[in-house]
Amino acid sequence: MNALDRALLIAARELAAERRHPDGLVAALTFTGLLVLMESLAFGPGQARQPGNASALFWIAILFAATLVASRSFDRELEDDAIDAVLVLDGGREALYAGKLVAITVVLATVALAAALLSLVLLDLEVALPGHLVLTGALGILALPPVIVLTTLLALRVRARVALVPILSFPILMPQLIACTQGAAAALTGDASAALGWAGITAAFALVYGVLGLTIVPAAIE
Amino acid sequence: MRRVPEQGSLPANASLNDVTVVLDDRTILRGITLEVGPGLAILRGPNGAGKTTLLRVLAGLAPLARGRRSVPGGPPLYIGHRPMLLRGLTARENLAFLAAFRGHVASDVAAALRKWGLGSDMDRPVERLSAGQRRRASLARIETEQVPLILLDEPFADLDSDALVRLRAAINTALVRGQAVLMATHMHHELDQDATHRYVLDDGALREA
Repeated sequence: MNALDRALLIAARELAAERRHPDGLVAALTFTGLLVLMESLAFGPGQARQPGNASALFWIAILFAATLVASRSFDRELEDDAIDAVLVLDGGREALYAGKLVAITVVLATVALAAALLSLVLLDLEVALPGHLVLTGALGILALPPVIVLTTLLALRVRARVALVPILSFPILMPQLIACTQGAAAALTGDASAALGWAGITAAFALVYGVLGLTIVPAAIE
Repeated sequence: MRRVPEQGSLPANASLNDVTVVLDDRTILRGITLEVGPGLAILRGPNGAGKTTLLRVLAGLAPLARGRRSVPGGPPLYIGHRPMLLRGLTARENLAFLAAFRGHVASDVAAALRKWGLGSDMDRPVERLSAGQRRRASLARIETEQVPLILLDEPFADLDSDALVRLRAAINTALVRGQAVLMATHMHHELDQDATHRYVLDDGALREA
């Protein structure tokens, strides 16, 4: 069995557990839905549907949702020490990182799709470049989980993990958050070159932190 | 450790050389040197003596402050205090996943779980099983993941008399196959008579009983 097979096996295991008990998905959907609703009420319809505001709040909601999904995923792993059965195995640590990354990205994509539809309807957004918006959205969904899964794994046995993961990961994720926000805003307003430029930056961050995670996780997990 | 007659002749061995483990500024194991070969070794010691840590060192789950660990036969099967099964999956799914990860045939899983009395419960999520059933499911891994080294931490906990018989049979089968079994336990049990080595761990130091 090669490294890719092992990672996909972990991802399938994670998605099967999430399908049976979708705690992470439900928490993230509720959170993002409420945030979009609160935002539309707090800003008022005029301000909330400004491309910059709408995309910033969307990506902040997705960032917190990613933290929630990852946290629930690793809580499940720590119950009954299930994670130890994987860490013992050859290639288990890399597979755990990569597999969780895939599974959390899939769950997050579902949350993002629901939140995007809600934002479009509730805020009555006009999308000038739908294809560009989908591209920047997809790359943003790929860019956030590597850092969050990595910091969650690094803080796995720390009692204050719930507080520590955002403290560690959010400063690292600021460039990605800015790129996602600017890219989505550009797609909403019809600036194709800016949307593609920010999408490229987002993709680069996704790649760098994905590879970095695979490199340091085997030595870093306790 | 004395070798027992082998049928499968798996290359079972593991060794620790002058291993010291420090956790939270406390020395848990002090200069442990240990050779493990095919057969049954029983590890005893008072609570907090370091038995679990010693097993976790052999499993590669505890960091070494000093010394060297060698498990040339590949990753051992480690079954700890807790069932180590992922909640949300069934017993069958958990065992099939772990067997598949090792590249073993996952089709033997249902048969193994039936042997452990989980025939009608193997497709229930593990969180809906009793503690004893979860324990049985985790111990069924002895039969689905046949590896050279088996590490069992208090395997008798939560087991009824039927499961104890099943555990004894599973360990005896493993010994006949030539696997090495290292078991940490408080209980004196009839498996004692099959042990090739008995160790006592006290305050982080190991001696042969």
